Amino acid sequence: MSPEHGAAVAEALTRYIFPNDLHVHWSLMIVLYPYITGIVAGAFIVSSLYHVFHIRALKPISRYSLIFALAFLACATMPLLNHLGHPERALNMMLTPSPTSAMAGFGYIYSAYGIVLLMEILFIYRPTLVALKEKAGGFMRGLYTILTMGSDNLSPRALALDRKVIAFLAGIGIPMACTLHGYVGFIFGGVKANPLWATPLMPVIFLLSACVSGIAGIILSYVLIRKFTGKPVDMECIRTCIKFLWGFFILDFVFEMLELFSHAYMATHHWHTLRELLWGPLFGSYWIAQVGIFSVIPFFMLGWLSLVRLRDTTVRFWGSVASFMILVQVLLMRWNVVIGGQLMSKSERGATYYHPGWFEKEGIIPSIIIMIMPLIILYILSRIFPLWQTDEAAAGEETLG
Amino acid sequence: MQPDYTSKYNAHLIRIIVVLVVLAVVGIVVRAMVLPESFGLYGHYRADAIQDEINRPIRNGTNASCLACHPYIRQMHLEGVHRTVSCEFCHGPVADHVRDGQVIALLPKKQGDEIRTLCLRCHNRIIRARPRESIKMISMPRHLEEKHVRTDHICNQCHNVHAPLMWVKQAREIVGIREDKS
Amino acid sequence: MMDMDALQQEINRDRRAFIKKVLRGTIAGSLLLVIPAGAMDLAGVPEQIPGMRDETGPFITGKKFAFVVDITRCIGCGSCCVADRNEYQVPEGNYRTWVERYIIDDHDNVYVDSPNGGLDGYQEPRTDIPYPVRDTFFVPKLCNMCEKPSCVQVCPVGATFQTEDGFVLIDQKRCVACGYCVQACPYSVRFINPKTKTADKCTWCYHRVRKGLLPACVNVCPVQARKFGDLNDHESEVYKILHLPHVVSVLKPDMGNKPSLHYVGLRREVV
Repeated sequence: MSPEHGAAVAEALTRYIFPNDLHVHWSLMIVLYPYITGIVAGAFIVSSLYHVFHIRALKPISRYSLIFALAFLACATMPLLNHLGHPERALNMMLTPSPTSAMAGFGYIYSAYGIVLLMEILFIYRPTLVALKEKAGGFMRGLYTILTMGSDNLSPRALALDRKVIAFLAGIGIPMACTLHGYVGFIFGGVKANPLWATPLMPVIFLLSACVSGIAGIILSYVLIRKFTGKPVDMECIRTCIKFLWGFFILDFVFEMLELFSHAYMATHHWHTLRELLWGPLFGSYWIAQVGIFSVIPFFMLGWLSLVRLRDTTVRFWGSVASFMILVQVLLMRWNVVIGGQLMSKSERGATYYHPGWFEKEGIIPSIIIMIMPLIILYILSRIFPLWQTDEAAAGEETLG
Repeated sequence: MQPDYTSKYNAHLIRIIVVLVVLAVVGIVVRAMVLPESFGLYGHYRADAIQDEINRPIRNGTNASCLACHPYIRQMHLEGVHRTVSCEFCHGPVADHVRDGQVIALLPKKQGDEIRTLCLRCHNRIIRARPRESIKMISMPRHLEEKHVRTDHICNQCHNVHAPLMWVKQAREIVGIREDKS
Repeated sequence: MMDMDALQQEINRDRRAFIKKVLRGTIAGSLLLVIPAGAMDLAGVPEQIPGMRDETGPFITGKKFAFVVDITRCIGCGSCCVADRNEYQVPEGNYRTWVERYIIDDHDNVYVDSPNGGLDGYQEPRTDIPYPVRDTFFVPKLCNMCEKPSCVQVCPVGATFQTEDGFVLIDQKRCVACGYCVQACPYSVRFINPKTKTADKCTWCYHRVRKGLLPACVNVCPVQARKFGDLNDHESEVYKILHLPHVVSVLKPDMGNKPSLHYVGLRREVV
């Protein structure tokens, strides 16, 4: 076989895609959706580490991570609504959820989780909000009255009741956060027609990458916000976060590689499809970017930051850099799963391409806007719920911002 | 300390539970109100959707619907080897031609190269992939050269598109008679 | 069939009377369905599936339909694709049905293409095949009408459903166009219709079948490569194909979807 013949044959073999597979139906929006819900679930896990598992070092960010989660949760449906052909019918999901559909549960799981998260915030913040209400006037006073449910009772008996409710909410919040995101993984993992998606490991990988992205988001935003507001960074807290980030990332990365290794070792016809994809159109975004740069480098960086006793400024700077890289890694992972899975035609003979435009409805500019929205909402929430507290007893004495 | 509070120690919890219960009840009531009438009659779907699908307009007829009004073509078409070829494949759907028993527009008549293209969709030998026994195959322009005609001839100059062999047979008869005489 | 000369004489005598006779003969005793405005006038068209116009219930009760594609007969003319486009006016670039061309060379390399889904026919040969061709054939594709449809399973709102007579249909008024069914279909027969912004796919021309007509593609196929019929009728061609010795298979059987679309002479190279 001459080289030219070989090339011609290889091209012919990999070229045919079903005519309906030319178009990638799940766009950049569906990349963002699991990214945002992942950040929500991860941030909630951080707060639970303090509220449920009593990791004392995480206290400085225990409240902030809840507000952070709420800000992102408020935006989780935005990419979905922008993607739907008929967004005005979106509530059909709540109206007639199909019991057999992996997607149908989203409306109820999302709403239930939203309620639990909001309730937990309101109960944790209640003493603070009662104090703020006393100082506030006009619109803000009305808002705080609603948020405190019209009660100013801060007696030991009331606070003891609050603690019980908080423990209960945080307790059911963990399985719910895991459900919310593991379930997003299942939406992909349950599609038997797509060899890249159809694996029972998909929910696990999604869940672990969610924890990773949430913790990384908290570290990065915490350091940045404290820096720009001129407040000190709690180094004990950051060091603990970095250790958790490293731990979760070890699990996440190992599972991602295990999934690939299992496919390669079993080498069914699915693997031949996957191999063409991963060494073809996904080579750059998967092997070079996701695995090579944004997994291996932060993996060793986090190990170094966790195991070696370093100066505060070093930990603060490189911890932020590693967190940023992890956030990119998870975004790349979402891209490679969601878009990558659709590139391979179900003909198993060829791949299509997808390059989002800047200004199209589901393009890059709308994606940037959607990713900025949670930050705007976080800012607005910070005017209502003080993000930081130095001490439980001092709560309410801190000013806004 | 205790008398300072205006509300009971558990007032906020009770209120929030009441709000959640009210929301749930409102949700159930609204759902019942906006649920499509025939939903769930036969399964997890709107039963009226079946009728919606049945009511989709038919745009292609059958050859019978075309030939009912075109008796001259009818005879030719049904006698020729093209009797299994659909009228609407070449001419377009009947819904663009007749509506409620009235002719609303004329379907465009294929001309020149369009005819050659249509013929070659089925009869082009270079597109292998065709079971040889089921259909006559020709190569262009070899076919024209073999028949000693100009290579810019359009198929319908020798073949009636409805009965491709009709004129050929007639010509053979005529040629045959002439040959006998000479 | 009437003798042609006699028929022609009758037509020549009085065209109008002839049409009237056709009408009386074919609709007598059958139910006239209410056709929405803009539809083709069905009155003069004889039933192609006898007895269908008597089926008035929500589901077809007397018949069990099957679709058989005979790839040993298909000539790749694309009549089916043209008829389908005419029937549904699906925007360009989306295909309810399409025809693939397979070419296998003597080195067992498989070359597949389907330019514009076969809608424009196959006018050009493939010139990029380096070895002698061993085998070549056409494969028409359409909805597999699975007994266990993954699209119905995944539809979150119950907009895609399976009727009791086995048709998988889409409720255009409830579909949110999330695209999950498009992802779930192993055969890629689904797409989001850019015009209606809902999921769309081949329905085996359910609206035609319910009115006694064959699916548009079956009706136009000049070589009977596409066959549609009733499995309860033991004289029907589809019954004979599926119940007498034939090389018959379905696409991607390991998906477990149990397609009702069967292929005669399906080669292992076809996916």
